Amino acid sequence: MISEEFKSNKLLGFLIPNIVVLAIVGVNKALNSDSSGVLVYSQFVILPILLGIISAWFWRDLALKTKTILGYSLINSFIAILLSYVFLREGVICLIIVSPLIFVFVITGAFIGKMMFKKKNQTLNVSIVSLLLIAFISDSISDHNYENMVADEIVINASPAKIWKNVVAFEKIEQPNNYWLFKIGMPSPMATTVTDYKLGAGRKCIFSNGYVFDEKIVTFDVNKDLTFDIVAQPQDPEIMGHIDIQRGQFLLKDNGNGTTTLTGNSWYKLKVFPIWYYDVWAESITRNVHLRVMDHIKELSEK
Amino acid sequence: MIFSFVVKRLGFIKSIPLTALIFDSGLKLWLFISKSEKLDWFDDLEEEILNWNGVTISLHKFGGTQFNYGKHEIGHLHSNGILDILFDKKTKAELIATGKAKAHHVFNNSGWISFYIEKKDDLPDAISLLRMRYDKIVSKTMITSKALLQEFPIFDATL
Repeated sequence: MISEEFKSNKLLGFLIPNIVVLAIVGVNKALNSDSSGVLVYSQFVILPILLGIISAWFWRDLALKTKTILGYSLINSFIAILLSYVFLREGVICLIIVSPLIFVFVITGAFIGKMMFKKKNQTLNVSIVSLLLIAFISDSISDHNYENMVADEIVINASPAKIWKNVVAFEKIEQPNNYWLFKIGMPSPMATTVTDYKLGAGRKCIFSNGYVFDEKIVTFDVNKDLTFDIVAQPQDPEIMGHIDIQRGQFLLKDNGNGTTTLTGNSWYKLKVFPIWYYDVWAESITRNVHLRVMDHIKELSEK
Repeated sequence: MIFSFVVKRLGFIKSIPLTALIFDSGLKLWLFISKSEKLDWFDDLEEEILNWNGVTISLHKFGGTQFNYGKHEIGHLHSNGILDILFDKKTKAELIATGKAKAHHVFNNSGWISFYIEKKDDLPDAISLLRMRYDKIVSKTMITSKALLQEFPIFDATL
């Protein structure tokens, strides 16, 4: 009998919190349909904590050891990630990136809940629930806007004139990927085509999975500055659905000794929050896109 | 090492709500992966302290489990095994001199001491330090109650 109740409460601690959180995400999405896929603190921080707290309520009488709570919380996190994949259509790589946050926040919620529902501590910690509620509502309705620029440079043993044509457009990159996210399936840049070598021309950056970024050249200062705006980008469920690349730029500086410093700049708008976590990933991915392209330009130019 | 760096150099982040608790969860997760038996020792400690009369637990504001007697904190255990207890400076000096505790990992000039639970055999010493603090709080509370009753005997009837 006790064993059955134990099993039932244990199971409910997995089921109910995930259903509740999924319902909140669904309602929030329906009410904020104009947010165009922006994912904010409340979804990544507050909801996992809430998930942990609700599960702790079902497990409150089971006298679980810390190790067990941690194990169950990890299972709960995996269920939440799986549900995000199925119902929210998040990409696998995006979920790999978000998983450490989910693990830690679900665990935090489970231990907050453990203390809240401890029998010797009957006073419900209303302040924590209120704090979560206020933060969730205010975060959901507030404006989220974050833009950043990543710059990288390499030195190429060639003149700006020799490098320039490879900067504007280049043949397929054949080198194997070194960056671990590219290796596990994140699309990497493969080739660039251009409609003409002049200001206003169209440019296409083609990625390994066939996705194409449509670009328009807005500065065409031969042998010095190629700047292009991204006019259309694929809305992939992976990380690319959560970041808007806005502008790219290649600057060439003649070093006067037969070498040229090539600088690659990218401007992007991040659509996932908290910034302190996701911008680390965004910078890393942008940097590796830069380096893959710039290393290829270097190889072509030094032939 | 990471704990020490975060506490000493990034201490300001604890003023952001929930940050300390989230950091402590990270410590728990790391311990779960790297040395999960430590989590059992901490459970044993918690179970023992909760058997003492009037003791409750709560989350410590800077992360970890806090042991309380009424409104008084007995001490708190961070999830990496650092047990912090507040004594008067004389007791702290005695405990450090006899090697029973170390100066607090951050507040060196206060009455706070730190005790590092690194092996299972450390548990009795940790419990003994918490008991010292518990006994002091209980006796102080009783003295205060008696003094109140002497000054305001009406409380005796109402209580």
